[in-house]
Amino acid sequence: MRAGAGAEPGAHPDGQAGPGEERDRGTRTAAGGERNLTPRPGGGAGSLADRQAGLVAALTSGAPVPPGFDPRLIEVARVALLRKRAGEVARQWPLLAAAHGPRWAREFARWAAARPTRGSLRDGWDLARELGPALPPAAAEELAAREATMRYDGEHAPRPRRLPAVKRAGGAWAVQFAGRVRVVRR
Amino acid sequence: MDAYGVGIGWRPEIAGFVAQLPGLRFAEVVAESVHAHGALPPGLDDLRERGVAVVPHGVKLSLGGAEPVEAARVEHLAAVADRLAAPLVSEHIAFVRAGGVEAGHLLPIPRSRAAVDAVVANVRRTQAALRVPIALEPIAAIFDWPDDELDEADFVTEILERTGALLLLDVANVYANALNRGTDPVALLDRLPLERVAYVHVAGGAEHDGIYHDTHTDAVPPAVLDLVAELCARHRPPALMLERDGDYPPADALRDELDAIAKASGYPVVT
Repeated sequence: MRAGAGAEPGAHPDGQAGPGEERDRGTRTAAGGERNLTPRPGGGAGSLADRQAGLVAALTSGAPVPPGFDPRLIEVARVALLRKRAGEVARQWPLLAAAHGPRWAREFARWAAARPTRGSLRDGWDLARELGPALPPAAAEELAAREATMRYDGEHAPRPRRLPAVKRAGGAWAVQFAGRVRVVRR
Repeated sequence: MDAYGVGIGWRPEIAGFVAQLPGLRFAEVVAESVHAHGALPPGLDDLRERGVAVVPHGVKLSLGGAEPVEAARVEHLAAVADRLAAPLVSEHIAFVRAGGVEAGHLLPIPRSRAAVDAVVANVRRTQAALRVPIALEPIAAIFDWPDDELDEADFVTEILERTGALLLLDVANVYANALNRGTDPVALLDRLPLERVAYVHVAGGAEHDGIYHDTHTDAVPPAVLDLVAELCARHRPPALMLERDGDYPPADALRDELDAIAKASGYPVVT
């Protein structure tokens, strides 16, 4: 069980492989009015900023495909993005993914289809918490160890715990002291 | 830039493998995975001490976003370049977030005049904070925008000319885009400013739903190595590197891919 609490190495994102872990900053971006570009005659309504936001919403939240785009290709990209996210979350949460066996990519995609990524650490954490008591033992231990190692309020980026902690997930308990974690099962 | 030959994308999962490449002189690291001022990840430090050039490769600046690039992200990239004493940095011609939502992916921008203006403005903001050159990488796009005005070669060339940036040419992206758009990848090579290529990415992909996806988690196809040879016959870039981001194969398979890049480019093997 990894008890790491430091930097999350970002997976690389060219093409299919994509921006890895999101940390504290950067989840807010102002759609700055000063950068709004001229509306394009016949090219659909709105500024470039609005149109980029519409495209991201279609790819990450199931919003309608913006006018003019090839719906088939946008769907291919949407599915590819979910497949890539499933792989990234599986690297951060190997036991959570293993608990689903060959159904992992499909199950994750169903959960994530209308949830834009908050980074693979938080995506896996949110999903594991939702599954809660339904987690099989190994995945419960993985979640308990994370809960004991890092403080995560579900809204902000997880932070390393400075103090000792005892955390439970499913039937697993994790005890963390000075950054070292021990997991026990009942 | 000096000729570095064949390199590899350094990732924590393959740090042990990379450490044992005797001829290695060039590597790349995801900029966002490196702390600007703290200790370097184990293994990366050793590469630096061996004199291997390590280039920070940004993946989250969103240079193609309509909003101004975030100053904190630019400063981080500049600080990591300093930390690594890197000869240059690289980023993508793409956007990765909009309206406060992360796409989790590099997305294409329209090949329009307006979008060129936006990306040029962001590259200039970034250059103002950097103490080394930046190389820009055109991405593999599964879809295009409806309002494209320029073709890929004109689009890339105009951005490079207006910013003075170098080109990070990903031959796997060239291959993927050509296959998916039904165009000729070699014809694109003939129209790009190859003398501006700082280095080259070589990666693998796979087909899903009738579309070739540039996954970085599959083997490098022979057709991509053929493109490496076509490129080097025209203008051999100073460095070409294998870019692998997951589902890492056994060391022998990685070694074979590095050797294949050496063979296709004519550079010495590094394994």
